[in-house]
Amino acid sequence: MGRASAGPATWLPVTSTALISTRHEYGWVFGIYVPIAAGVFAVVCVVVLGAVLRYRRRSPVDASRVSERNGLEAGYAALLTATVAFLLYVTFTAEHRVDTVSLRQTPALTVNVIAAKWEWEFQYPRYGIVHRSGAVGRQPLVVPANRAVRFNLSSEDVIHAFWVPELQFKRDAIPGKTQEVVLAFTRLGLFRAQCAEFCGLRHSEMVFNVRVLSPAQFARWAASRGRAAL
Amino acid sequence: MAVQAPAAPLPRVRGAGWIGALTSTDHKRIGLNLGLCSLAFFLLGGVFALIMRSQLASPNAHVVSDYTYSELFTMHGSTMIYLFVTPMAIAMALYLVPLQIGALRVAGPRCALCGFWIWLFGGLTMQSGWLAADGAGRDGWFSYVPLSNSANTPGVGQDLWTLGVILAAVGMTIMGACVVATIARHRAPGMALLRMPVFTWTALVAVLMVVGSFPVLVVAMTLLYIERTTGANIYTGFSGAIDYQNLFWFFGHPVVYVMFFPYLGAAAEAIAVNAHRRWFGYKAFVISIMLFAALSMSVWAHHMFTTGGSTNEYFAFTSTALAVPAGIEYFDMAGTLIGGSIVLRCSMLFGLTFFVQFLIGGVTGIFVASPVLDYQANDSYMVIAHFHYTLFAGSVFGFFAGVYHWFPKITGAFLRERLGKVQLAIMIVGTNLTFFPMFILGQEGMTRRIARYPQHPGWETLNRLETIGAGLIAVGIAVFLVNVWVSLRRREPAGADPWLGHTLEWATASPPPPLNFETPLPPIRSYAPLFDLHEEAMDRAREGVSA
Repeated sequence: MGRASAGPATWLPVTSTALISTRHEYGWVFGIYVPIAAGVFAVVCVVVLGAVLRYRRRSPVDASRVSERNGLEAGYAALLTATVAFLLYVTFTAEHRVDTVSLRQTPALTVNVIAAKWEWEFQYPRYGIVHRSGAVGRQPLVVPANRAVRFNLSSEDVIHAFWVPELQFKRDAIPGKTQEVVLAFTRLGLFRAQCAEFCGLRHSEMVFNVRVLSPAQFARWAASRGRAAL
Repeated sequence: MAVQAPAAPLPRVRGAGWIGALTSTDHKRIGLNLGLCSLAFFLLGGVFALIMRSQLASPNAHVVSDYTYSELFTMHGSTMIYLFVTPMAIAMALYLVPLQIGALRVAGPRCALCGFWIWLFGGLTMQSGWLAADGAGRDGWFSYVPLSNSANTPGVGQDLWTLGVILAAVGMTIMGACVVATIARHRAPGMALLRMPVFTWTALVAVLMVVGSFPVLVVAMTLLYIERTTGANIYTGFSGAIDYQNLFWFFGHPVVYVMFFPYLGAAAEAIAVNAHRRWFGYKAFVISIMLFAALSMSVWAHHMFTTGGSTNEYFAFTSTALAVPAGIEYFDMAGTLIGGSIVLRCSMLFGLTFFVQFLIGGVTGIFVASPVLDYQANDSYMVIAHFHYTLFAGSVFGFFAGVYHWFPKITGAFLRERLGKVQLAIMIVGTNLTFFPMFILGQEGMTRRIARYPQHPGWETLNRLETIGAGLIAVGIAVFLVNVWVSLRRREPAGADPWLGHTLEWATASPPPPLNFETPLPPIRSYAPLFDLHEEAMDRAREGVSA
């Protein structure tokens, strides 16, 4: 799942990294869930196919009359329970970091994200910069890489959702309350993002781009009050 | 032990022909009417899907406007959930449960008839939105506030949608309550709870969830209707939006299992009969579906992981724990196959496909039950793929397993096996071609409910594959309709018990007479009373040979 989570370290929660990356946490959980799911699917396919081929066209007289194996089934249920416990351990570990520990980081930058039908407004209060995207424009959300960025998400009308697939993360913007999330981008570049919650007629157009700059480039861009070339 | 009510009013047929058929209080007629109407709504919802897939065949198509597209996805979801998969599950329960438990009638036959008509008027009310000046409902099948209030979605279409949902839910609650009461009061002598057939158990937990959760939908929608029409401030601000979602999903998740259990039961009956074995691990199965139902009443807010207004750990815990009862069902399915004498009729093949394909929906359900993974998957095509694998690749295949299994009972004639296998093959290809690419699109960031999508590498190809798949599904359904037509026109008569059935519905004529059973019931000593007789007959034959 990308650079941030490559290598054997994917299999352990990396608690030493100061910066919490949703992309990294997602990759860790994904890397455990998906192989287990694929394994379960493969086993069931083999069992069904094997049983059908083996027990096809026998005389009904030869059919087994054993109708339960409760000991075996209880052992199997215990195995299922243990698997569920393991999956929950993985999920809770990652979820705690994404939802709780991340908020304890000191953000290097705060961006107010205001969603409205059908546009995004990105305010940088410290630098006096305002960018707008969606049905009204194509100014990207600009952020520095490898820095904790706080987003204050709010909506002016209906429920929207701030979804950046590069971050493997989204959070709803619901009118009446500003939600705080602290996120970190780990790769430089231009990424697509958009509103994920259906918000009316022009929902398809409520898109924006994210431009991730190196911290030095970002500092230059911010110092020029957004006038420096991206 | 429930005793047969001695002075049950006869299910009279009021007059002949259409009037008689539409006002009959015979549970079989009501079930059949409900099933046929649901099937008509299924075809309508399928047409909506085909138009949407045509729009999405290329990134910036203009088959329909954005406005029409929002009506189409709203009415597709609403039609399929409120008017097809859920009522079809109740229709199967209404038709089969009294037969399977040896009852002469359903409890509260007039109530059940009334419930059917209320549901039907709800469906027609919802669809009548297409005739309104501003069109049909257009805020999605869950119509979140504040988008669905009168300020953001003015007009009659959304009002009709809201009223239609209320009526459909009331009607289904009444019919569900009738099935619960039938099981409580009308079981034949000897039919203890732990001798009820597998399908009856799955139907029972489903209708219990209907009775427990559908009234909450009625409340949520009534409040929405009041807010829309009077301007009352009911769902206001952040907490109002979250309240609506809690109320909605308190219905909206249990209904997912109402749309699953009876089809699981149908597939299980078909597999057991075609493997010539009684369903394996019956007691564990009964415990597991009760645990399943109890848990699934407490998982609703996993739809709300990204709102910042739910207790994510709790709902991740209950949702992931569903893997335990679900795993038991697969164990019992495998246990039934292993050691059996398997005949690969259409009902068996559809039943096995139900289990295999549903598993893709199941494991991805555990995937999205993890908040960290859902933060990416929520509202993306990943979720669309997941629930279509449960509802279409799962439940609809389970439904067809039931159709091929019980069609001879209902009509007295067999469906054609060869046409059935053609239908199955086309539908397997079509289903996976339609829904599997959606996992990839969702992972790559395609959001749901968009009429046009970015020109991202590969997206157009994947979307076009899906559109072709949807066309194949339509062909498969057409083959099924032809099969029904041919089988009813040139009948191959089926006797009372063409498959060596296990349960009491096979102990009466096909189709069953108005009061279900004209001859005394066989002794009920297990959950497969007819299979007990088959086994005894086989034993006698073997002894005769050895003697």
